[in-house]
Amino acid sequence: MWRDASLYSRGFFIGRELTRAARIFVLISFALGVCAASHAETRPSEGSPRPAGGPYKGADAGSSQAPAYKRGMKFVTDETGRRMAIPFSVQHIVTLAPDLTETVYALGLEDKLAGDTSFCDMPPAAKLKPHVGSPQTPNLEAIVAMHPDLVLATTSINRAETADALLRLGIPVYTSDPHTVRGMLESIARMADLMGANERGTALVAQLQARLDAVHARIAELPLMHVLFVVWEDPLITIGQNTFIADALRWAGAESVIVANQNWPQVSMEEIVRLQPEYILFTENHAEANDDSELNRLRTQPAWKALKAIQMGRVVRVDDEITKPSPGLVGAIEQIAHELHREAFSSAARENIFEREAGLKMEVFANIRQKECDFCGL
Amino acid sequence: MRPLTPQRILATCLGLCGVLFVVAVISLRMGAYPISVRDIVSTLFNAAAGRRDEVPVEFWQVVFGLRLPRIALGILVGASLSTAGAGFQALLRNPLADPYVLGVSSGAALGAIVSLIVAPHTVGAIQIAAFIGAASTIAAVYFLGRRGGQLDSPTLLLAGIVAASFLSAIIMFLLTMVTGSELRSIAFWLMGDLTAPPPTTNVVGWLGFLFFVFIVAAGAMYTTSSDLNLILTGEQEAKHLGVNVNRVKFVVYIAASVLTGLAVSVSGAIGYVGLLVPHVMRMLFGTDYRMLIPTAAIGGAIAIVLADTLARTVVAPTELPVGAMTALAGAPVFIYLMRRRMR
Repeated sequence: MWRDASLYSRGFFIGRELTRAARIFVLISFALGVCAASHAETRPSEGSPRPAGGPYKGADAGSSQAPAYKRGMKFVTDETGRRMAIPFSVQHIVTLAPDLTETVYALGLEDKLAGDTSFCDMPPAAKLKPHVGSPQTPNLEAIVAMHPDLVLATTSINRAETADALLRLGIPVYTSDPHTVRGMLESIARMADLMGANERGTALVAQLQARLDAVHARIAELPLMHVLFVVWEDPLITIGQNTFIADALRWAGAESVIVANQNWPQVSMEEIVRLQPEYILFTENHAEANDDSELNRLRTQPAWKALKAIQMGRVVRVDDEITKPSPGLVGAIEQIAHELHREAFSSAARENIFEREAGLKMEVFANIRQKECDFCGL
Repeated sequence: MRPLTPQRILATCLGLCGVLFVVAVISLRMGAYPISVRDIVSTLFNAAAGRRDEVPVEFWQVVFGLRLPRIALGILVGASLSTAGAGFQALLRNPLADPYVLGVSSGAALGAIVSLIVAPHTVGAIQIAAFIGAASTIAAVYFLGRRGGQLDSPTLLLAGIVAASFLSAIIMFLLTMVTGSELRSIAFWLMGDLTAPPPTTNVVGWLGFLFFVFIVAAGAMYTTSSDLNLILTGEQEAKHLGVNVNRVKFVVYIAASVLTGLAVSVSGAIGYVGLLVPHVMRMLFGTDYRMLIPTAAIGGAIAIVLADTLARTVVAPTELPVGAMTALAGAPVFIYLMRRRMR
């Protein structure tokens, strides 16, 4: 079949004809291409092409033709430098990552949450919201169909292409970019402000900051524990120093033994044996059902059993929240701090700190309730 | 065998265009946001009459912002890859040749990754860098593939394979330097992805530009089609019949490379189309290049639009990369056709 080209004399003639036709075709298409390009250039100036009221051309928010946002819109620059117009009163929110969903719930804005991703499982009620797909491959049409006036995304799991595509459609996408625990708190405050929950955001951040300070007060004087944070066991993948997990560990009085600029470096077991971390940290969904079985399993592994931390049973299962820059992260920090620095949280001191925490929480909630009453005029 | 007349070529192409139109309309209807054909017609009518306010915003966003540009991009990418594949197969006189065997996609991928390391948040940087990567790989392979001043097919093929594995090794090395969020973009890009937004807000102008490049390159290749038929019977024979073999090879090589660079730079590495579609078209309509080039172009467009429609609907609301879909559907179809032909 490959070489049976069968046309010689007659085919030649037709071929020449067609060649001529093809040249003419090329010329015509060139003309058409030029027309299309020039037409497209003139297009944006043809009056207002979009129905008024909708946040249609959010991507060009900086341009001078802004009759659509005379009322009810504010200009915002997100944490990745994208500019957009967002309504003052946001009513339909779509979140593209589990940590953002958690933040929305923590701010008590779940009624405004129109949709989230199929990964969103905290709090459990988030599973019942309509899903738009996974954080990395959300269905843009499904998002559009929810007609959101604000989409929340994060650099820690979403793709830049998703935000760009939605902004092109005129849907404002606020992308958060937290690299530290403090950055996460600032990000929560900013997002709360965007969603019209400024007061609650301030209260939530103050409460989380107070809990962090309480932990810090306990362990500030103590030396940092050297730990290995296991992201994946085989191949062994751990955290880099620029991740927010590394920062969260520092808040909990710990430091990764691996120093790497990559976010998720793959390291050799030999290196770990040489560095001898004081504690091994696993996340809950990775580890076995309980600490003992996990420890027993690792004690049978050839390289792992050479680690002093394993021999001494210094393995900690960390709350999954450690992997998400969301309010739950603070709880995970408290947990790690308690596990690694037990002496600082000894019984008397421990009671004290819990009391203080509880008191603080009560205070914050009372504060929020008071503010809500202010709003409804009671 | 019936003689090949311009009328027959035209009729076949029109028929295939009809199939493409039907597939495009089906694709326009399918998706997470429900749309009926009546909606589309009434919207087009309203838009033509200047009554855009009567069209719901979401409808406008989905149809004109998401689906139509994506279908147009799919047509462009499919037609480019498939035409390039047909060109490379004739040039190398090797049925296995396609843009990927020649290392072009690896070159484009390397360009994309360098751009993500150097300028991670610049819209459009990936496309431009991918095109530069593809073009420089093509140039390098072209010079490595010459022997005694002539383009030698086996040497060219070997040069392509060596270039592909060398570039892949560099990619593996560079990937260790990339952080999480950029790595995700690269991973999707390497799998073939039509969802990335164009680098400019002027979508119509951008698509017009891409189609213009496609038509120039494919048109240039078409002017050599009757010479390609002769070259396929043997280079010496073609020379005796008065064909300027070197010129034809040069034109086909440049045109096919531009088409590949074009497709890879906008959609990443979509496999199988460049290899498969020209063979299917040969089985259906014969091996004459005057028929094969246009039918392969339209057939490639049909294949990608169909694959992308499936990619966006089978596991909705999540989307599959279109490259995964073409490989999934392409391999069995190819084996079936090959076995049937062998009987």
